[in-house]
Amino acid sequence: MAAEPKAATEEAKVDLFEDDDEFEEFEINEEWEDKEEGKQVTQQWEDDWDDDDVNDDFSLQLRRELENNTEKN
Amino acid sequence: MEEAYRRITEYLNRFSDAVSSQDGASLSSLLSLSSNHPFLLSLADSLILFQDASRVFKQSERFSQYSEIITHLFRSLQNYRLGNLVDAYQAFEKSANAFIQEFRNWESASAWALEALYVLAYEIRVLAERADRELTSNGKAPEKLKAAGSFLMKVFGVLAGKGPKRVGALYVTCQLFKVYFKLGTVHLCRSVIRSIETARIFDFEEFPKRDKVTYMYYTGRLEVFNENFPSADHKLSYALMHCNPRREANIRMILKYLIPVKLSMGILPKDWLLEKYNLVEYRDVVQALKRGDLRLLRHALQEHEDRFLRSGVYLVLEKLELQVYQRLVKKIYIIQKQKDPTKAHQVKLEVIVKALKWLEMDMDVDEVECIMAILIYKNLVKGYFAHKSKVVVLSKQDPFPKLNGKPIES
Repeated sequence: MAAEPKAATEEAKVDLFEDDDEFEEFEINEEWEDKEEGKQVTQQWEDDWDDDDVNDDFSLQLRRELENNTEKN
Repeated sequence: MEEAYRRITEYLNRFSDAVSSQDGASLSSLLSLSSNHPFLLSLADSLILFQDASRVFKQSERFSQYSEIITHLFRSLQNYRLGNLVDAYQAFEKSANAFIQEFRNWESASAWALEALYVLAYEIRVLAERADRELTSNGKAPEKLKAAGSFLMKVFGVLAGKGPKRVGALYVTCQLFKVYFKLGTVHLCRSVIRSIETARIFDFEEFPKRDKVTYMYYTGRLEVFNENFPSADHKLSYALMHCNPRREANIRMILKYLIPVKLSMGILPKDWLLEKYNLVEYRDVVQALKRGDLRLLRHALQEHEDRFLRSGVYLVLEKLELQVYQRLVKKIYIIQKQKDPTKAHQVKLEVIVKALKWLEMDMDVDEVECIMAILIYKNLVKGYFAHKSKVVVLSKQDPFPKLNGKPIES
């Protein structure tokens, strides 16, 4: 991203006020259609990720740990 | 010398023509120092050469009414060209003050000169930033950006009343936000926000889209700082929805704040989003939530600590820990259920302690009991303690309520 290296070089001047995330200025007469692509970017969220699947690597390791422990007990 | 004289006169003519024909776009281009337009640069050279330019326009009736604006603007332009940015700022502020005096007279019927006012508001801010840089490098205290903030407040006052010029108030508000965020005086945003949001005479939707998007981005960030997540979600989602899709840097900035807000309400971004906008610092955080992996969450926060602290989302992300605990206990529960469905809803604290030990978190049973108490209190777990036997008895119905886009109860 273009904004990143700029922010990094200005970082050196310690006394200066900074906001790393200053919104880029739109042109005064900048026009755009926000219907199509705007929707694409707003549809990239999941709210049903919290499933009951325990077959991923992490869960398998967790299972092994818990089973180990019960044997020891 | 003749050439210099010609250039100065040409500028004066253009200025006066723009005003008399109410041509906002032409007027704007005459005020835009930072555009470094060849016309303005050669004018600046002519002014340096000519020394006493005010003689030219004081002779003429036609230009005299703008002499305040132009005298200071010329001085600013000369200093700008010579690289004296503090002097350039000071003269520019004087010119801008004279401009808003005139502006009050011009636009009673229509808002044609708004565009020029936008340019002034933008120019004064970026010039102030550069002047402050000059001051700091000379070992002096930066103060011009603060002064630009006061000037912009004045401009806001001129626009915020009734009438067609009110449509310009949001542009100035956005310039003020940029000043206040840079100075770290964001509490000053409050009074302008109140003025924008309580106005019954003007519907927010009537403001230009570019200003609405910028406004929602900044007010959304403020809501993140205030940990008002539903409102932050609303504002940042609005900005995301309406931002120019070609402005990828802006979309990335919106997401930088929207992602932690969504995460705090149990909603995850898809990988596509993190890849496309290069927000990989959130990848492990998302993974940690999905897995219930407290170790990964801690590592992700450590690895990007600096970045998260600078943008002010560190505390928001730190609080995701509770959701990760919830996920981990849920996984333990599911694993137990597969082994022995009848006893699955009884989770021994000892078992959780062991899972945590595996994740390199040293906690004893009492500490785990405390964490579980918090999860129950926050409604992330439904159940109760069998204190003596050190067991959490989970509710048989919906033991791990989902957040479903709501923040954790406090």
